[in-house]
Amino acid sequence: MNYDLIIIGGGAAGIAALKNAYDPSLNILLVEREKSLGGILKQCIHNGFGVHHYNEELTGPEYAVRGIESVENLDVEILTETTVIDIEKKDSVFNIRMTNTHDGEHTRSSKSIILSSGCYERTRGAIQLPGDRPAGIMPAGSAQRYLNMEGYLVGKKVFILGSGDIGLIMARRMKLEGTDVLGVAEIMPYSNGLTRNIVQCLHDFDIPLYLSHTISDIRGKSRLEGITLSEVDEEFNTIEGTEKDFDVDTLLLSVGLIPDINMFESLSFETSKKTNGAVVDQTYQTSVEGLFACGNALHVHDLADFVTEESEKAGKAAKTFLMENGQKNTSFIDLEASNNIGYVLPQKLDMDQPFDSVELSFRVTTKGDKGVFVIHQGDQEIMSKKARFVVPAEMEKITLKRELIDTTEPISIRFEVTK
Amino acid sequence: MYDYIIIGAGVVGTAIARELMKYDVSALMIEKENDVCNHASLANSAIVHSGHDPKPGTLKAKLNVEGNRLYEELEDTLDIPLLKNGAFVVAQSEAEEKRLKSLYERALENGVKDCSILDREEALKREPNLNSKVTMVLDLPTTKVTYPWEVTLANAENAIENGLEFKKSTEVTQIEKTDDVFTVTTSEGTHYKTRSIINAAGAFTGVIAAMIEEHPKFEITPRRGEYFVIDRHAKGFINHTLYPVPSEKGKGILIVPQVHGETLIGPSSEFQDDPENIDNTKDGLSKVRKGATKLTDKIPFNKVIRTFTGVRASSTHKDFFIQESEEVKNLIHVAGIDSPGLSAAPAIAKYVVNTLIKANTDLRDNPSFNPRRKGIKLFNQMTDEEKKEAFRYDPRHGNLICKCEKVTEADIVHAINRNVPGDTVKGIKKRSRAGAGICQGGYCEHNVIHLIAREKNKPVTKVEYYDEGSYILKSETKVKQ
Amino acid sequence: MKKEMICIVCPVGCRLSIDTDTLEVTGNRCPRGDKYAKTEITNPTRIVTSTVKVNSTLQRRVSVKTSDPIPKGKIFDLIDKLDSVDLKVPVNIGDVVIENVFDTGVDVIVTMKLGE
Repeated sequence: MNYDLIIIGGGAAGIAALKNAYDPSLNILLVEREKSLGGILKQCIHNGFGVHHYNEELTGPEYAVRGIESVENLDVEILTETTVIDIEKKDSVFNIRMTNTHDGEHTRSSKSIILSSGCYERTRGAIQLPGDRPAGIMPAGSAQRYLNMEGYLVGKKVFILGSGDIGLIMARRMKLEGTDVLGVAEIMPYSNGLTRNIVQCLHDFDIPLYLSHTISDIRGKSRLEGITLSEVDEEFNTIEGTEKDFDVDTLLLSVGLIPDINMFESLSFETSKKTNGAVVDQTYQTSVEGLFACGNALHVHDLADFVTEESEKAGKAAKTFLMENGQKNTSFIDLEASNNIGYVLPQKLDMDQPFDSVELSFRVTTKGDKGVFVIHQGDQEIMSKKARFVVPAEMEKITLKRELIDTTEPISIRFEVTK
Repeated sequence: MYDYIIIGAGVVGTAIARELMKYDVSALMIEKENDVCNHASLANSAIVHSGHDPKPGTLKAKLNVEGNRLYEELEDTLDIPLLKNGAFVVAQSEAEEKRLKSLYERALENGVKDCSILDREEALKREPNLNSKVTMVLDLPTTKVTYPWEVTLANAENAIENGLEFKKSTEVTQIEKTDDVFTVTTSEGTHYKTRSIINAAGAFTGVIAAMIEEHPKFEITPRRGEYFVIDRHAKGFINHTLYPVPSEKGKGILIVPQVHGETLIGPSSEFQDDPENIDNTKDGLSKVRKGATKLTDKIPFNKVIRTFTGVRASSTHKDFFIQESEEVKNLIHVAGIDSPGLSAAPAIAKYVVNTLIKANTDLRDNPSFNPRRKGIKLFNQMTDEEKKEAFRYDPRHGNLICKCEKVTEADIVHAINRNVPGDTVKGIKKRSRAGAGICQGGYCEHNVIHLIAREKNKPVTKVEYYDEGSYILKSETKVKQ
Repeated sequence: MKKEMICIVCPVGCRLSIDTDTLEVTGNRCPRGDKYAKTEITNPTRIVTSTVKVNSTLQRRVSVKTSDPIPKGKIFDLIDKLDSVDLKVPVNIGDVVIENVFDTGVDVIVTMKLGE
């Protein structure tokens, strides 16, 4: 079967990409490995979605349903309970190997692909947490799924490592379901989650937040029995004498998300060590012609609304690529992250594509109540924008007008903190 | 009444059990954990050493070299994976070169085949990412890497196929002997009678010995080793197994490519009192990192997916302690099995049966012994044709459960239903690799739990992670009691 | 007396300051923040999101929420009440699960669409 476009992943990103990629002349397939569309939104039963995109506050599932309703009547093929296991490019065609219980393992071909496969949670092993390795330690998202979709509590006395939103949301969620939540620890001196979540998840329930703390020991043979919390210094080394023991049977980890793009053994594309996702240009095309990426599979977002916006752009770009026989350009301007900026996306500007402006997504590496974002091209400052209350946990955006771009030198963005 | 009771279902206990089933004997293997291969056999470097470093004339030397050779046959017979990538012992100074040359002499004396000394240029040609400080290398091409879980399972499954009885989750609590008969009492209160006991209880061989001997002739001195596991997608930075020049402490901190593509970095070496303490420590991991970085600075530590600790059952003897008890007849100790235990396991089994047992006992052949065992043919290891056929027969092969290691529902159902069943999450990981990949079960664990619950007809809240009582789900919500 | 708080109405999280005597609010970037600060002092309320049992083949629990904020003090009572709810598919967004819960005028509604 030959398609014009195969979209891998039917969560917030895949759905938005599909909506804008759609054209009656195009043969499009969306592949989703779960039983239904919606991705991670299905288990995010809390509020906070849609404020930007729909001007309404919605829960995750409601946000998912809105998106699904916008595509369910389109003349496209949607395969659920189907998992992509490999992609290979031969000549100008992608061969996507996938599997389901209906057809078994089989290959479908496509002129283009949108990679919207989401992200996975960083594991205990990846952060090399010391201590025993009993049952009772899991990523916060896994506990969220067990609780919200299957109806099982993973423990009775919980501690949470990581003050990212997943950790904060789960602190409240577990407390509401009758679990004792003894605290949230965060290795940074400030929280990683949305401020509103600190209030409505921790303050509301008197759950203590231990900033500049990490877990220095884990005890338990079959099942977790206790953890030790230690304060850390500016270099994140544990400070002796600051140990606090907690009797818990569950430790939830909210220590970061990583784009889920490892399962494609036969296809390689340029990736960024900073985002762990693909390097893309402003059309969200990767270093492989016809391969686009968007959503958490490209870089980790904190708001589903931004995932939707970005993926709608990627979908539109894929459509343009197909309908206007998009050529892969080889001359790019590099976009770089400079002082106090963790990463900027896109990482490349394809100047042969027509565009009036490009929206840059980026994150700061340091907190700042007051400051300036400054964009340079070579030695020349070409733009600046005031920054207020910026934190690494919240993605920022800047629109860069094309007319400001003079040369072909690399463009860099930095963050100057004044307060 | 049994002819033999084997205490301990690690790689050595199961190898001995299998060797015994070649004869017309009745045997029972007892294991205190809830699966085979739960302690030292589970947590080691997976290397089948060449036999280059044990002292010549020792059991370690003889049985390592023989075991290395036996693995070549067993690869096909028992359907176990072998990565034949060879090894380098790496010298980085004149002093180390001297010790390396002695090691080479020792290897030759032990009968290690095809080993040779390579100069710096040759070494770097074959292993470009080696630390440029390398001056000389001992090439040990007979060194292999296997999959100790699979080896142990294969031994056990084949032994059971051939008549071995197996009791897991059963701890030996008492041993008595009256006339020529042992009575072995277990934690379930049962008394088993046997003519002979093989004590292959790893770190607990000392505890077993003390149950019946007045003055045990060995003492277990547990020695821990911590490891990093690097994701298989980062493989290729090192191709050979790399050893530093060894010290009195042991082989040192190694870099070991694994059969499925991961790379193990470790182990450290430290004595501890508790044989079951397998925690990871900041210091231990830091030592491992420092040591391994001496071999190459190209280790992608940002691709670590897991850390673990193994405890070696080292003893007060330098060599393996494999002998009949001096106090109690027909009690054979297979103790002090630290490195090269895995490498020597098949040879240890033959030594116990052919040298120790046959010295006083006539063993009649078992005419129906079938040496061959076929493991689970995982879907992702099949050819396209085999996959089509397998799917036609069982469409559950189309339901991908573990996206990282490409494991299907049918694979997992097979793993649950082997004759040594995998009914814990870790047991499934051992047999099918579900959960062994980069997300460490983050995606597939809930599905694995449901499959175990379904196949074993138990509530999901009673599915265990690893050992007894290690339930993952505490309770169901919104159910009025 | 001045009380500091962080507004939770939208993800921006304005830092508010309210005079507990005059109820004058500063720091808000929109009128919702003004309302929030005043309510927080006089009668703090929250939207509650949770799940209830459902007989769907896709998932064993379905998400619900209060249509409006309810008094903070009633949150755990509400969660308790939800324990006895048992829905049958099909369920749609907006389906009322509990009407006028605890006489607050607020309903508990379904926030997911499940056909089977």
